[in-house]
Amino acid sequence: MTSGSVTPARFGGPPRSGRPARFVRHTALLTGRSLRAIPRVPERLLDVTIQPIVFILLFLYVFGSAIHVHGISYKDYLFPGIIGQSLAFGVISTGTATSADMTEGVIDRFRSMPISRLSIINGEVMGQVCEQVLGLVITAGFGLALGWSPQLTLAHAIELAVLLALGMVAFTWCGVLVGLLVRSPDAVQGMGFIIILPLTFMAGTFVPIAGMDAIPRAIADWDPISALVATVRSLTQGVPTGGSWQLAHPELAMIGWCVLLMAVCVPLALRRLHRTVAA
Amino acid sequence: MTEAAILTQGLTKRFGALRAVDDFDLRVPEGSVVSLLGPNGAGKTTTVRMLATLIAPDGGRAWVAGHDVVRDAARVRERISLTGQFAALDKNLTARENLVLMARLRGRTSRAAREVADRLIDRFDVGRFRDRLVKQMSGGERRRVDLAASLIDRPQVLVLDEPTTGLDPRSRQVVWGTIRELVGEGVTLLLTTQYLEEADALADRVVLIDRGREVAAGSPAQLKAQVGEQRVDVIAADAVEFERLRGLLGQHFAITPLEEVRTVSVAAPEEAADLERVARAVRAGGIAVDEIALRRPTLDDAFLALTGHAPLSDPPSPDDEPEPILETREAA
Repeated sequence: MTSGSVTPARFGGPPRSGRPARFVRHTALLTGRSLRAIPRVPERLLDVTIQPIVFILLFLYVFGSAIHVHGISYKDYLFPGIIGQSLAFGVISTGTATSADMTEGVIDRFRSMPISRLSIINGEVMGQVCEQVLGLVITAGFGLALGWSPQLTLAHAIELAVLLALGMVAFTWCGVLVGLLVRSPDAVQGMGFIIILPLTFMAGTFVPIAGMDAIPRAIADWDPISALVATVRSLTQGVPTGGSWQLAHPELAMIGWCVLLMAVCVPLALRRLHRTVAA
Repeated sequence: MTEAAILTQGLTKRFGALRAVDDFDLRVPEGSVVSLLGPNGAGKTTTVRMLATLIAPDGGRAWVAGHDVVRDAARVRERISLTGQFAALDKNLTARENLVLMARLRGRTSRAAREVADRLIDRFDVGRFRDRLVKQMSGGERRRVDLAASLIDRPQVLVLDEPTTGLDPRSRQVVWGTIRELVGEGVTLLLTTQYLEEADALADRVVLIDRGREVAAGSPAQLKAQVGEQRVDVIAADAVEFERLRGLLGQHFAITPLEEVRTVSVAAPEEAADLERVARAVRAGGIAVDEIALRRPTLDDAFLALTGHAPLSDPPSPDDEPEPILETREAA
């Protein structure tokens, strides 16, 4: 060990840029931190890669022969559903990752540093969104290889990309809140399988909502995941979806849900991370 | 507001019915080293987490470098650096990546961050494992990287929470050496520990804490004078030998016989020299013994000497749980 002062004896550190610039900079650095973990913990990607592929294979080649949807091939019916389901599963994977991260000392280090707390969570959200984009590309690529034929105009493709990005961010924020509220990663997984998994099945993902029993149909009519699935389906296949108002206007409903989710989850998550101090 | 680097008045934190920190007053003058000494669950970690703005107090006030930890938390965070009991590092990054990330988060350019990381790697002797992932490091290695990460911007106030708990003796020596260097440079240090010898080795002033309250305070020398010196404990092979041992050693030394454990405890103000004298006497007397050992006074000895009773804090309590996030506990 060498002696002598390691750092300048200036206490505040180097001169600081303005608040928004610092926020963007901190978010970018913390996003980079999340991304660097991906190749080092590759099993974290299983959620967004292998899982949708398993569902595709199961429904296409095991259950699919018994499911007939009027006016559309089952392949074309299924893939939009899988994409919607993957986004919804983002709540579970983000919740698990956040909850695991919160038990790590490193979050304490960040919280005791002069960094805005929004950028701490935002780094987490952005990292997760990147993972999900990767998963989405793999799922879509797999679908196309198996003969999925989406009918996308350029305008629809852009609209779809924007809406999917919005959906990912909203569901990821929702997952962050769950991860902050629930104590253990295992508990998040458990809750996910009890709540999210059935909801994704009821959302018109694999079978049409119209044929469901009264209670699941009532849930599906107003489930945000249904709006998500209906949006992807109407944009990729041009299939009009009927039923409740939100199923007749899936894009609008989805934007509404995303805004609502963010409006609830962002302040609550921040408060949760924040509440330790009044400043 | 005050010249003290750390000042608390009536600081209180409750977890349910438990008063983890109870009306606690503390003053750490600038440039000094104060040690909070106490058992598990005494409130040490809760106190330092309040000072580092990680949890909010329920009562009383605290200032770090003159800034209120609640109202001025942002200013406090620029001045304090906490190294917790559990390494505050990203376990999926290497030592060097962690240091570079922390330096960049503190506003350095990527080049300046790499420079400061490399200087810290040299200084803390991390070179051998600088490119190893934190999750693959030993406890001692992590602790060194953790300390390095706390010193990227030289903090005005450094808080070390049980810096050597769970470390092997060699790593402990390395950490002590580093702490001494920092103190030599004039950093104000608040150190929590369960080890009397650690407080003695590093601190200017020791505050004994139990159940969230100060029970005694003084310089290590005062503390040692009150607690007493080291002792030589001789364990006899059996009850007969114990009686012979008691008779023999009683003639030459100030002894405390402990019959239940067949041990004769001898005051050893001259430490190793006394150990040698006792061993020689035992051998000359031809007494069969299981063990002759020089023993340092422990935390329990200190509590006994200073308060007349053993520590009251009884684990389990918030301080022992291995998860560092306290607000999830509050929900319980």
